Amino acid sequence: MAKRVLVVEDEMTIAMMIEDMLMDLGHEVVATAARLPSALEVAADGNLDFVVLDVNLAGHKSFPVAAVLQQRGIPFAFATGYGPAGIDPAFAGRPVLTKPFTSADLAAVIETVG
Amino acid sequence: MDSESPQPLTARFPVGGGEIGRLIQTRDWTKTPLGPLDLWPQSLKTATNMLLLSPVPIVLLWGEDGVMIYNDAYSVFAGSRHPDLLGSKVREGWSEIADFNDNVMKVGLSGKTLAYENQELTLLRHGSPAPAWMNLDYSPVLDESGKPAGVIAIVVETTKSVLAQRRLRESEERFRAFTTATTDIVYRMSADWKEMQQLDGRNVLADTANPTVAWQEAYLFPEDIPAIQAVIDEAISSKGVFECEHRVRRADGSTGWVLSRAVPLLNDAGSIVEWFGAATDITERRRKQQQLELVVHELNHRVKNNLAMVQAFAYRTFRDAEDIPRALDSFTARLVSLGRANDLLTGELWSSASLKQTLDQATVPHRPDGGRWELAGDDIRVSAKTALALTMAFHELGTNAVRHGAWSNDGGAVRVRCSLQIIDDGTQRYRIDWDEHGGPPVEQPKRKGFGTVLIQRGLAAETGGNVEISFAERGFSFRLDAPADRLRNE
Repeated sequence: MAKRVLVVEDEMTIAMMIEDMLMDLGHEVVATAARLPSALEVAADGNLDFVVLDVNLAGHKSFPVAAVLQQRGIPFAFATGYGPAGIDPAFAGRPVLTKPFTSADLAAVIETVG
Repeated sequence: MDSESPQPLTARFPVGGGEIGRLIQTRDWTKTPLGPLDLWPQSLKTATNMLLLSPVPIVLLWGEDGVMIYNDAYSVFAGSRHPDLLGSKVREGWSEIADFNDNVMKVGLSGKTLAYENQELTLLRHGSPAPAWMNLDYSPVLDESGKPAGVIAIVVETTKSVLAQRRLRESEERFRAFTTATTDIVYRMSADWKEMQQLDGRNVLADTANPTVAWQEAYLFPEDIPAIQAVIDEAISSKGVFECEHRVRRADGSTGWVLSRAVPLLNDAGSIVEWFGAATDITERRRKQQQLELVVHELNHRVKNNLAMVQAFAYRTFRDAEDIPRALDSFTARLVSLGRANDLLTGELWSSASLKQTLDQATVPHRPDGGRWELAGDDIRVSAKTALALTMAFHELGTNAVRHGAWSNDGGAVRVRCSLQIIDDGTQRYRIDWDEHGGPPVEQPKRKGFGTVLIQRGLAAETGGNVEISFAERGFSFRLDAPADRLRNE
């Protein structure tokens, strides 16, 4: 089933690749946010089924966005080069996509969170 | 002398006296200043008998010459000089200290006493001069008329104990010198570590001059105490070395780290008397170690991020490619460009880079010879991330210029102008203009390639600015207008 996805990623080339991957998997990218304020805005108001959340946004951690999503009950996965060790313990257990990841990894994560 | 011959007078003198007693009996005294044994005055005999029966080393110096009569205990002290020393004149028998004994004789025969404690004298022993120490007590011996006729000396050699004390003192001095020379914090603890006796903090920690039971509160953090106490307990029970790296409150109030080691001092029964310890300030080492861990962690992240970027280039370049060899060339050129951006930022330790230098480096591989390139205007320092985004965008601009634009013929040129502007509300904006001229007539591209997307979307999102692209017939142009603070900081 096609999902409405938000991509939060500060590296534009990587953001574009994730968009392509999502579209190739049959999902719809409703927005792409490169910075914390715009990501928070879409996370709070957007009509979203899933979010790919880069942990480091131009030097700021994206955990406030994760908190908003958690509160709204929107499924999400972290995407990070740091690996699971860099994740705030408050979000332990959330799926983590370790960069670089494949389109199959992305599909599997979206599958698990429903 | 024949012991069976009847000699009633000398047979009673001396009485006993061990080896020396027998020697005195058998020696021919007639050629000495003392004369034959049976003619010795009673005072001499009495003094001789007294010293022969004493277990303490005693020597009698008789007459002006100080003729020496001594006992077995003294003969040990005399060493190889014995038995020749017996009956010799003191100034000759002990020729190396003749002056000393000259004074002894003068004082003693004038009826006075002399006393020396741990007196050092250089004596010939085993053929070579060696220092010796002794306690010496001299007193006059009176003859039958009541006048001093000799000097009696109690001689106790103290060389061994003097040397032992000296070694102890030197050891203590070495220890004191060591504790002064070292930059380590030194401390002493009671046997059970309940009380700190003393701590010399070397300006790192506050000093403790008097014993205190409140040392843990003074130097440690409450949350660290259980772990440190466990190491202490283990050291006490094993009577082994205490060794622990732990945090401390420093004298200036800051938090530091020490590597602390202490050894137990044991008594003869093997019980701990106290602990002596030294602690090295390793705050700086810990800080560098943490910094290094951070750098390694960050480097790992950057490597992963770079790999993800390479993956993104590959994904985008090959996804819709019809001409694979050409796509491979584009992909390789993009990787080279990314590599150059890395070089630039490594030189700047990934902190910031000169914007103009970044543009210069990004276009170098594409520029033709002969000065068809002009880069002018204001320069600013930009963040590592901005530098990377600009490198990728200007790589694409250069590629386009070589393929279709001003660098695709023999005469075209590219002019780049950079300007920092202050707008009405006081904020700064930075503008980059890329203008091509003299190239072949420009045609509007049929479809938007990855390069154009990267320039337009990527740079706009990365810089928070406006990007304009124009395919005017006389030449391609590109414009970026972005908040300067964002280029600097994000």
